[in-house]
Amino acid sequence: MIKEYLGEFEETVLLLVAALQEDAYGAAIANEIESRLEREVNLSAVHVTLYRLEDKGLIKSTFGGATKERGGRRKRIYTITSAGMAMLKAMKEARITLWKMVPQLKIS
Amino acid sequence: MENARAIRLLRWFCPQHLREEIEGDLLQRYERDLKKYGEKRARKKLLWNVIRFCRPGIVLRHKPNFSRNNFYMLSNYFKVASRIMIRNKAYSFINISGLAFGITGAALLFLWISHEFSYDQFHADKHRIYKAWNRALENGQINCWDVTPRILAPTLQEEFSPVEAAISYAQWESKHLFIVGETRLLKTSGAFADPGLLTMFSFPMLNGNPAKAFENPNSIVLTESFAKQLFGDEKAFGETLTISQSGYSFEFIITGILKDLPSNTSFKFEYLIPFQFLESLGEKYTHWGNNSVATYVKLKEGNSLETFNDQIKDIVRKHYADGQHIEIFLYPLTKMRLYSRFENGIPAGGRIEIIRMLGILGICLVVIACINFINLSTARAQRRSKEVAIRKVTGAFRHSLVMQFLCESVLIAVGAGVLSILAVYLLLPFFNKLIGQHLVFSFGNLTSWGIALGFVLLIGLLAGSYPALYLSSFRPMGILKNSGIATSGKNTLRSLLVVFQFGFAVMLIISAMVIYKQIDFLQNREAGYSKDNLIYIPLTGDLEKNYLAFKNELMQREVAVSVTKTSAPITEQWSSTNSIEWSGKHPEERTDFERIFMDDRPSATFGLNIVMGRDFDLQQFPNDSSAAILNETALKVMNLDNPIGEIIDDDGREWRIIGVVKDFVFTSPFRNIEPIIIFGGKARWAFNEIYIKLNPVNDVRKSLSALNELTKKYNPEYPFEYHFADVEYAHKFANLKTTLLITTIFTSIAIFIASLGLLGLSTYLIEARVKEIGIRKVLGGSVLSIMKLLSMSSLKPIVLGIIVFSPLTWLSMNWWLNSYAHRITLSVWIFLVAGMALILIALLTIGVQTYRAANTNPVNSLRNE
Repeated sequence: MIKEYLGEFEETVLLLVAALQEDAYGAAIANEIESRLEREVNLSAVHVTLYRLEDKGLIKSTFGGATKERGGRRKRIYTITSAGMAMLKAMKEARITLWKMVPQLKIS
Repeated sequence: MENARAIRLLRWFCPQHLREEIEGDLLQRYERDLKKYGEKRARKKLLWNVIRFCRPGIVLRHKPNFSRNNFYMLSNYFKVASRIMIRNKAYSFINISGLAFGITGAALLFLWISHEFSYDQFHADKHRIYKAWNRALENGQINCWDVTPRILAPTLQEEFSPVEAAISYAQWESKHLFIVGETRLLKTSGAFADPGLLTMFSFPMLNGNPAKAFENPNSIVLTESFAKQLFGDEKAFGETLTISQSGYSFEFIITGILKDLPSNTSFKFEYLIPFQFLESLGEKYTHWGNNSVATYVKLKEGNSLETFNDQIKDIVRKHYADGQHIEIFLYPLTKMRLYSRFENGIPAGGRIEIIRMLGILGICLVVIACINFINLSTARAQRRSKEVAIRKVTGAFRHSLVMQFLCESVLIAVGAGVLSILAVYLLLPFFNKLIGQHLVFSFGNLTSWGIALGFVLLIGLLAGSYPALYLSSFRPMGILKNSGIATSGKNTLRSLLVVFQFGFAVMLIISAMVIYKQIDFLQNREAGYSKDNLIYIPLTGDLEKNYLAFKNELMQREVAVSVTKTSAPITEQWSSTNSIEWSGKHPEERTDFERIFMDDRPSATFGLNIVMGRDFDLQQFPNDSSAAILNETALKVMNLDNPIGEIIDDDGREWRIIGVVKDFVFTSPFRNIEPIIIFGGKARWAFNEIYIKLNPVNDVRKSLSALNELTKKYNPEYPFEYHFADVEYAHKFANLKTTLLITTIFTSIAIFIASLGLLGLSTYLIEARVKEIGIRKVLGGSVLSIMKLLSMSSLKPIVLGIIVFSPLTWLSMNWWLNSYAHRITLSVWIFLVAGMALILIALLTIGVQTYRAANTNPVNSLRNE
């Protein structure tokens, strides 16, 4: 059973943290959402969501390296925790269960 | 750089632990946007992105700052602050005592103000209770007064459905002799009221049922302490007592004991008697022209005052043919104390104006004290600059320095606050006596402690914030290299603050002087009658029928030189009328004449000057009992060419004018002379007092004991009571004298605080100029010229303050004086004297310092260079 529920945007961000692995930090996630999902997103929204996910224990963070284009500021790299992974899986299963209930339309 | 500004904005609201990554991400985005859109748009986007970060999800992520480190720092700040305070004893003393004086003064004033605001606010239905007022056009002016006909309350109750209850209430100060067993007390502190009074207002009742207390006309309700006076420790409730008045005695049953009335109510009575009692004696007051009682009305829930006032406007017109010019309106009970002055029919403030002045006074006292703190702290910058520099070099952040300085100021404020609470506690009884109020500081009440603490902290922060920001802004490089900051005596803010301080002080000095002059002027006003050896006693009990014998014996034994019965003390108003008729009276004329009744030889007893005709003299002219004497003003109003022998008509009674006396001060020395008619002795019911001109040959004490003996003989039932006319006259000034005393006290406090500040300030300013003085002396400057130089720089803002604030004072004092019919005119010399006095005080304050500074050997101040 899923005890906590994630919003749609939270789920997207969590998925991207899982997908980007070593490269999962605020600006990169925002870029991915913009380029892959073709969706306008605000940086602050991504940050707030990341903090919230961290509060829930679904991701954890460490400081990564600094680059010149970042004005010497370090990145905060997020990695998904096993709780986060379990949550993603549980959500996916739930979706599939629901999808199975939808009468399959034949594509003609 | 624009970007730096955006980042600074971010840092302002963003929690520290999130700052680095967010900044990094923002800059990364900026770099991307720079390539994509060019610099201008990228910048805009950056700023916009920063602003978007100002959202609860980010801002509320501030971690609470109570880490152990912060606690250590805070305790360290306090430790350092207390060390600094102990090291600079004089500085701490000046600061703490100045603030303590200011806070104490302000606290006393604010206790007073809050007490004033609490008047009659404790009644449960206060928002539905109103007092009825009259509004009438008289001689071209709309007058308002709150004394109404007795018949008004029952009529309102009967004819208007929105009225829940309407009652009459009257305090006539009738002389009632209370008899319970052996106890006899003469009281005037009673009131007549309708039974509804006890249920309309929320006076707590200890015994008895408020709704049923006055079912019987012969019932009486006492206050707790009055019951104790009568019955001692025995139970009073349900007992009977006897009241005797003018030779009649009545039995009353005590049907209720009220808790003593709180000090914050406008009602002042010790016992209540129902109107039904008076009316059971036969007399019903149904005359609409006789304004004699106060009327209180409680409206039913949900009725608006405006619509109801519209409904009742014509009530007098409907019932009273002669009252076509009178309108009745209701005015809220909650405004009775502070907002009950009407000017031309429109509410025009009232006591609230005094309260506002007190509030301003309180705030100014605190501000003066805070200014001291600010001035002294900034002046001390020189001394603290090295400390600041060292702290900064060793890595102190600016905010931690600010914190440290704030801790110092809070510590000083708390010290002053503790002293003030102590002082308020000790001074409150004296202050209460002074202002004739009953203020309490509830020490058991958490809210008042909370307010006190909040107030003290606020003062600490307000006074401390400017010095903290100023002192923490020093750049360590300059200070350590040049051995000090460049302080000169020129600090605009500091000078401005001194201008304000001394401006306020000069305002207070002038006010005190003007009030003093005004009192002096009024006290020396020609009274028009002789108060020496003049005494009056109440005409009570058997004295009425034994009056002639009593008078004869007084004269025979040469205790008195002249004795006259009067309707009221000459210092009290008793009755007035605008319905006197005389030959040739203009039909529109509605001037009010004061009525007073005197039986025989008034000018002999009072020493009035007869300018026309003659005095009442019953021995020669028994007909004088239906005669009348006018004062000069009354004669002027009547405009009679030959007044002697003219007949005037007062509501159906005819009187013959036999004399005119010179104007004399009646009721109050503050008022203009009103037209007065002295009526003769025909109206037997009118007399209440006996004025006795004692024989000046005798010792007053001997005369009094003779008088005591005689009243005992002719009026054995009543205790002996007497008043000196001059004492009663002087009583009229009690209020004004209180004002003077309060102004003087607060003036002294303000001057003291300001001088304290000046002393501290000049000390530091001189210290900063020690080298300059040394060089001047080496180059041949004389002690006198150096003293002049130093004094001038301190005096300049003070003189400016005096010049700027004097016109303000002139306006406000003129406004105050305008409330007096007899007033002094403001003269320039008051301002000059006040200004000179203040400058002198200032010179004395800084004199020792400047003298010492000017006298120091330049070697001592210059050898360290």
